[in-house]
Amino acid sequence: MVEEILTEGWQMTSDKTVAPATDGPLADALVGMGRFLRRGEVSSDLRSLFLEGGRAGDVFYRDRWAHDKVVRSTHGVNCTGSCSWKVYVKDGIITWETQQTDYPTVGPDSPEYEPRGCPRGAAFSWYTYSPTRVRYPYIRDTLIELYRAAKREHPDPVDAWASIVEDPEKSRAYKSVRGKGGLVRSTWDEALEIAAAAHVYTVKAYGPDRVAGFSPIPAMSMVSHGAGARFLNLLGGSILSFYDWYADLPVASPQVFGDQTDVPESADWWNAGYLIMWGSNVPVTRTPDAHFMTEARYRGQKVVTVSPDYTDNTKFADEWVSPHPGTDAALALAMGHVILTEHFVHKRTARFEDYMRRYTDAPYLVTLEKHGDTLVPGKFLTASDLGGAAAKAPRAEFKTVVLNQAGKPVVPNGSLGHRFTPEDEGSWNLDLGDVVPPLSVADLADTADSVEVSLPRFDLAPEAGAEHAGGAGVVVRGVPVRRVAGRLVTTVFDLMLAQYGVGRPGLPGVWPAGYDDPSTPGTPAWQEEITSVPAEQAIRIGREFADNADRSGGRSMILMGAGTNHWFHSDTIYRTFLALTMMTGCQGVNGGGWAHYVGQEKVRPLTGYTQYATAGDWVRPARQNIGTAFWYLATDQWRYDGLPADQLASPLARGVFADRTTADCLVESVKRGWMPAYPTFSRNPLDLCDEAEAAGKDPAQHVVDSLTDGSLAYAVEDPDAPENFPRVIDIWRANVLGSSGKGNEYFLKHLLGTDSAIRANETPEGSRPRDIRWRDDAPIGKLDLLMTADFRMTSTTLFSDIVLPAATWYEKYDLSSTDMHPFIHSFSPAIDPPWQTRTDFDLFGSLAERFSLLARTHLGVRRDVVAAALQHDTPDVMATPHGNPRDDLPLIPGQTMAKLVVVERDYPNLYEKWKALGPLSAKLGMTTKGLTYHPEEEIERLAHLNGTVTSGPFAGSVRLDTDKRACELILAFSGTSNGRLAVQGFRQLEKRTGQRIAQLAEDHEGSHITFTDVQIQPRSVITSPEWSGSEHGGRRYTAFAINVEHLKPWHTLTGRQHFYLDHDWMEDLGENLPTFRPPLDMHRLFGDEKPGMTRRVEGAGKPSQAEVTVRYLTPHSKWSIHSEYQDNLFMLSLSRGGPTIWMSGEDAAKVGVRDNDWIEAYNRNGVVVARAIVSHRMPEGTVYMYHAKDRTVDVPIAETSGQRGGIHNSLTRILLKPSHLIGGYAQLAWAFNYLGPTGNQRDEITTIRRRSQEVQY
Amino acid sequence: MTALQIVLWVAVPYAAIAVFIVGHIWRYRYDKFGWTTRSSQTYENRLLRWGSPMFHIGILMVIAGHVVGLLIPREWLYAIGITEGIYHLGATGLGSFAAALTLAGLAILVYRRRTVGPVFLATTVMDKVMYVFLAVTLGFGTLATVFYQLLGPGFHYRETISPWIRSILIFQPDVALMAEVPLLFQLHVLSAFALFALWPFTRLVHVFSAPVGYLFRPYIVYRSRDAVRGARKPRRGWDPVQQPNPQRLHGL
Repeated sequence: MVEEILTEGWQMTSDKTVAPATDGPLADALVGMGRFLRRGEVSSDLRSLFLEGGRAGDVFYRDRWAHDKVVRSTHGVNCTGSCSWKVYVKDGIITWETQQTDYPTVGPDSPEYEPRGCPRGAAFSWYTYSPTRVRYPYIRDTLIELYRAAKREHPDPVDAWASIVEDPEKSRAYKSVRGKGGLVRSTWDEALEIAAAAHVYTVKAYGPDRVAGFSPIPAMSMVSHGAGARFLNLLGGSILSFYDWYADLPVASPQVFGDQTDVPESADWWNAGYLIMWGSNVPVTRTPDAHFMTEARYRGQKVVTVSPDYTDNTKFADEWVSPHPGTDAALALAMGHVILTEHFVHKRTARFEDYMRRYTDAPYLVTLEKHGDTLVPGKFLTASDLGGAAAKAPRAEFKTVVLNQAGKPVVPNGSLGHRFTPEDEGSWNLDLGDVVPPLSVADLADTADSVEVSLPRFDLAPEAGAEHAGGAGVVVRGVPVRRVAGRLVTTVFDLMLAQYGVGRPGLPGVWPAGYDDPSTPGTPAWQEEITSVPAEQAIRIGREFADNADRSGGRSMILMGAGTNHWFHSDTIYRTFLALTMMTGCQGVNGGGWAHYVGQEKVRPLTGYTQYATAGDWVRPARQNIGTAFWYLATDQWRYDGLPADQLASPLARGVFADRTTADCLVESVKRGWMPAYPTFSRNPLDLCDEAEAAGKDPAQHVVDSLTDGSLAYAVEDPDAPENFPRVIDIWRANVLGSSGKGNEYFLKHLLGTDSAIRANETPEGSRPRDIRWRDDAPIGKLDLLMTADFRMTSTTLFSDIVLPAATWYEKYDLSSTDMHPFIHSFSPAIDPPWQTRTDFDLFGSLAERFSLLARTHLGVRRDVVAAALQHDTPDVMATPHGNPRDDLPLIPGQTMAKLVVVERDYPNLYEKWKALGPLSAKLGMTTKGLTYHPEEEIERLAHLNGTVTSGPFAGSVRLDTDKRACELILAFSGTSNGRLAVQGFRQLEKRTGQRIAQLAEDHEGSHITFTDVQIQPRSVITSPEWSGSEHGGRRYTAFAINVEHLKPWHTLTGRQHFYLDHDWMEDLGENLPTFRPPLDMHRLFGDEKPGMTRRVEGAGKPSQAEVTVRYLTPHSKWSIHSEYQDNLFMLSLSRGGPTIWMSGEDAAKVGVRDNDWIEAYNRNGVVVARAIVSHRMPEGTVYMYHAKDRTVDVPIAETSGQRGGIHNSLTRILLKPSHLIGGYAQLAWAFNYLGPTGNQRDEITTIRRRSQEVQY
Repeated sequence: MTALQIVLWVAVPYAAIAVFIVGHIWRYRYDKFGWTTRSSQTYENRLLRWGSPMFHIGILMVIAGHVVGLLIPREWLYAIGITEGIYHLGATGLGSFAAALTLAGLAILVYRRRTVGPVFLATTVMDKVMYVFLAVTLGFGTLATVFYQLLGPGFHYRETISPWIRSILIFQPDVALMAEVPLLFQLHVLSAFALFALWPFTRLVHVFSAPVGYLFRPYIVYRSRDAVRGARKPRRGWDPVQQPNPQRLHGL
């Protein structure tokens, strides 16, 4: 029968089919003869042979895919994926993994999350048994020999450690060989002993804040992160932030929304009618989620990509916009110009106007102030300016003002002044009542006056000699004004029209003649000259974006990425994007608004995680540090920077930054308590408490007195003093030296004390920071101990003194979540940690135990004074009325400087505390984003679930001695996983806002997701006030839905989304309003080469070399997630592998480079050797070196430096932007990973030349 | 009959043949998935397209010639009318042509292997060793033919080497036959046995899996399961799963 079918099939098509060339009488004869040579039945067309049996070979592939168990786990990598995977195990060996398919449904009318995964995740199990696996504890031979010798002389480990690090010869001996091999196998016992001794000695001799820990992205494995953080927080060490350090934190988010970052889940992309992917290469960087984008196109979604190069996602786009790198804000301003013109001036779109009134600061009044002989926008008008009863209301300086229909000033509900005062309970909401504030004061019938205001522009290079006024010029434009309480005021909206160059009849000033007028900022024609994007295209996209938002009720979305977020001025770029979504009413609407990439930032069970990791159940506050500033000082990059802050300032600046470098701004920020800094003071904080006790004073008072009389200083004022060095850094789940370490060569030289390829000179006298002490001899090798736990060898482990072997993601229990989907799911061990590896949880437990043992004799119970920065979402944010920091006030902790909190450190019992739940969770509650949760019932339940400690000082406490128990704690203590707490939080919010909100969680009040639940299947979270959106009723999460639908204010000054920022520093930077600032001119600021420079260099005895200078960008890679996977055999095979730099054909031709040639790229920061990938997809003048190229694969010796050289970050360095350092004022206030200077790196340039093709290793 | 002669003309051949046979069995059992030519066609095709057919056609002719000259007693050939003269003409003429073809093909292949980067990278140590012995064997054979058969008086190997080979194969080695054989022929024989000994450990195993069957076989093969359930041999202690007896089921 088979034969018949086949024959029929053949005949059916035979008419049209051209017979294969091998057909013919000869072939037929040969095959026909074969009948006599073999068994089996041959089909009549001689094409098929039918045999029975002979399938013994199947065993081979059946065995290959045979397994005896399947375990659910995931990948703890910073990719936003958080995909659930099946891990297959055979005979105790992990064999491979495949994607889980059981995500809860998204509901009808939408594609599902399943399938999720990408080639990188599918390659993970390779690591388990790979040559790069760290199997045993390793210590560098030089150090271990020194230590063993010291132990013979000093039997006590702490004394032995002290004898090494305090001996300059010995410490140089082991520091100078860091990164040069020599890691030898040790034992856990010895490695823990040395590590614990180093921690104890540092706490004792220098202070607990001289110990730092770096481990990023808790959401990618919460307990693994939390276990280490908990240890360090109990010890008093500092935890370094990562979101800002990675430059993934969009500073615009706190500036505009008063929120760290909150974005829609990827299933909500499907709901968008118009999608702009702006600097975000979704198929490459958010692979598991990209399908929603591709699917939405079949629903009629229009897809636009904005990217300088022809990226992978451009293939999916209806339209490709290709601006010059870093000029995106000009394009967004022009689009805003079109939208404001067409929807607010020529025509008035009711929906947009209504949204602007209710949800943005557009109708709020801003005073105009004299600046020389012109007027400039000043401060928000507040109730305190109105006089009378309004001014007497509590916190009147933080109650902003609008006009009503009659032109009278009113103080609407919901501003910061209403948020914390008991008198205003129930009025912190967005309810405007019957007030319909005019967007423009010109909307009022009796407004006749208008004045000219001066606005800075930054699109022109400053004239020679005028560099210290940042920008190049000023535009003068008119705004309608009124007098209110004796002040000249206008609205934010009027200022926006002026800023965007949208003219109205009768206003004075310089206005463009139309869209095609390039002469003045704001127009599509103006942006064309900057970005190269045709004006016509900018108009069309702006128009379509708004038109779609109008007709769809706000379903226009901008999906933005690192391409626009890693610039020095990215806060201004993002503000121009966000302005587009705000003026078209898209924020808080499903399918609309911004969709920033977040890294795996969103710890959905936030409160429980925070409680566990900060050890908030035992001691508060934790020392949480801003990563960028820490590394900037610790690696002495400040010695080479010297960036004059006033060169960044507006031409209309009032001199806030005069004669100061950006490093000085950091010092001011720390001294004012705006930003945290650890090490904090020039002395051990434990000793400060002892001194206070001896003097019979309160330690806080002692610190204030000592600062006042000059006997105590801040460590940031003298970071090169040995007592202010960070001494111990613990790194886990991270690869600073191979991935995130901007200014890699500075790390190597100053922090580690080993060979480096720094090419820059230190800042010359006269340009150095004013407020930081300059020591002529730069410290080499500040750090005493670099301890890293990892499962694979990275650049960081190669430079570490102690390497601890960690379990992989298939070898432990943990939790994972992401912003991209609304599920929490689990890690579970497919096998026990092999060789001598331990989970992060266990290894920090072991370290804590050993630490406590040594602490008995060396530390005991001590008191510690913690300087805590003025914190976001607390009344601290009202420390600076009108954003006007004053210098004439005394030091008052919590107002004019950081809070000073004295805490007890029970060092001998540290381990006991680490593994038990402390009393403060119940006693003080757990505060997240201004709401306090009380978990008494949960503690009772956990006592049964986890059991209680049976003996010792903490008998009766809930046990947290296994990773699984820590998971249960996190889930029980969070609103997203425990409905009772979600409802509890919402009830508080209802009281504060006077709005009905708790129904979003009430139907889940009895729900509680346990660890077993998430082991069975990923679980959808419960809507909780920990976040701003709603999943209620199976709805797709979008940020700020609660704000828009339930009138809950944003955590900003006005309680609305902000176009306008009125802090003094923002004013002096010229960034009150969304504006365009071009990439930093590295030539002007630092004398680096100019992009586009080409030259020939004559080498001594070598043929001359052509060189070209180009922009140097490090976007996210297709074949790795940061440095993870780039060393994976499968990814190396799929990609070209090893270090590569992508360059355009034009640039390659200039320097005679052909594809795959070895090249060297260098600048002031260092050198990189890589192969060139010459591709027409790259624009001329820009090269890419995909982030992150680790030192472990194919790194030859550089001709330029003679050193083995270079990772992608050898060419970058840290640059601080002052606006990121502002704190203590409304939404411009610090919280961990919420605000802080970014580790931006996109503004760099590099010079490239072809090198000898004979490379040596 | 010296000890050296016994070693060279008895021990060495038998050792080589033993290694050849046992080696192939071993290779087949333990390296079944490595039984391959390790084709480099995907790396380079331009040179291979000439070198490979030249070498292979040449070497097949060479092998055929050796079968005729060594294994078939000359009396049998006389019987079918192939006289000494005709044989000599054929052996020398065709043999020289085959040798030239083979050596030229080999030269192209070796040149290619050394100069084409990807091919050179895919070359193992065993490949290199094998090439040396292959080239040496071919070289001595060609030299012997040129010096003795073309330029010289002609050496009657069918009176010495051929019977000796046959004596080896029938396990009655006659060492004396090899005593007076010229050095070049002796070296050719010894290098050939060395090559045989190396054979199972090189890509030469592909000789035994030459895809000759493809000429006679339909290109789609369907294999249905055979009577034995599962592809695996039943293991001790495990009873095969059987269909439940319906009668018994209904009886319950």
